[in-house]
Amino acid sequence: MGGVSVEGGGGGKKSVNSEVNMVPMIDLLMCTISFLLITAVWSQMARINADAQVPGPPRTDQQIDKVEPEPQLHVTLGPTQEGGKKRSFSLVWKAGGSQIKEEKIEVQAVEEKGTVKYPELSAKIESQWNETGKHREASDKKFDQAVLHSDNTTPYSELIGVIDAIYAPQRQYKVGEKTEKASAFNVTFAMQ
Amino acid sequence: MTIHEPGKRLMHAIPLKFVQKKVSGHGGRSVAAELSLTSMIDFLVTIVVFLLMTFSASGETSLPNGITLPSAEHTIDLLDAPMVAITADQILVNGQPMGNTRSVVEANKVQKIEELFNSLKGQRDVYKQLNPNKDFPGVVILTMDAKVPAVVVKSVFQTAAFAGFPNVSFMVNKTGGKKPAGGGGGGE
Repeated sequence: MGGVSVEGGGGGKKSVNSEVNMVPMIDLLMCTISFLLITAVWSQMARINADAQVPGPPRTDQQIDKVEPEPQLHVTLGPTQEGGKKRSFSLVWKAGGSQIKEEKIEVQAVEEKGTVKYPELSAKIESQWNETGKHREASDKKFDQAVLHSDNTTPYSELIGVIDAIYAPQRQYKVGEKTEKASAFNVTFAMQ
Repeated sequence: MTIHEPGKRLMHAIPLKFVQKKVSGHGGRSVAAELSLTSMIDFLVTIVVFLLMTFSASGETSLPNGITLPSAEHTIDLLDAPMVAITADQILVNGQPMGNTRSVVEANKVQKIEELFNSLKGQRDVYKQLNPNKDFPGVVILTMDAKVPAVVVKSVFQTAAFAGFPNVSFMVNKTGGKKPAGGGGGGE
């Protein structure tokens, strides 16, 4: 058994050596391990956000200044090739009705456990955001807007792959006193 | 029942000398093995610390049958919000069917799903009645099967927005990478 030994005890007095009982201690550790193993969550769930951009009712007490339209990234999913392994995308930056930039790319889809990922698309969006994105300051509470266009038959897993690629560019974002990394875009769907 | 004096006990009344000799190690190798408690306790404490660090009270939600979630890297933590589950056949709110996925797929047109709209609007009204001084967060979490077509995704998204839930989150399995704070998490 384990014990705590302190020198200088004895001499007719009660010994200062005391025994720590190991059995209940090991029992406690075993119970804690069992509890934590049973309650452990091995698959972590999270969420990915999209914004429906519903405007609030107009306020009659405030005078509305004319606001310069901000550039928005329109990502359009094109047709697939090579049996779904390659997909074409159109990346268009628009401000109001005017088009700022357009690029058509073909990217390789990477499939992992039923999930589709587009690493080339995220790299391309990141480089475009570095050139055209407006909201970069940590104190800026707004995010650049991305609009996702897809046909009606595209599976949800591919939409999530594209949204995940759009969220790849990161910027600093101030939350209270702390500055954290945040995705540079807000995503919404184009309704056709 | 009477109480009897205990009978003979092993090692006291019955010496079993050959066993004592074997155990004490005289004349041969002892059969009693020493267990090093220090390393064992170190090991157990390390496991406990590791499990405590990976312990999470949130992050596990029960999924309805027939839903395989896609995975994503740039995600944010789940929050407490109404949850809509969409399988290949039906749309469920709190386990109650609130629409048919197949009819939306067959129509092949983005549409407002009336039952879902009424259910979400009801939840919004209840929140506003219970919390008259609080802003309504307008967050809804969609738990969708990976194979559901985009027309259903857009229809549910639009219906949620019409019902007063403009911040729509999609539940996914979290894969590697660091979590972003905002942007994709505008609904907080």
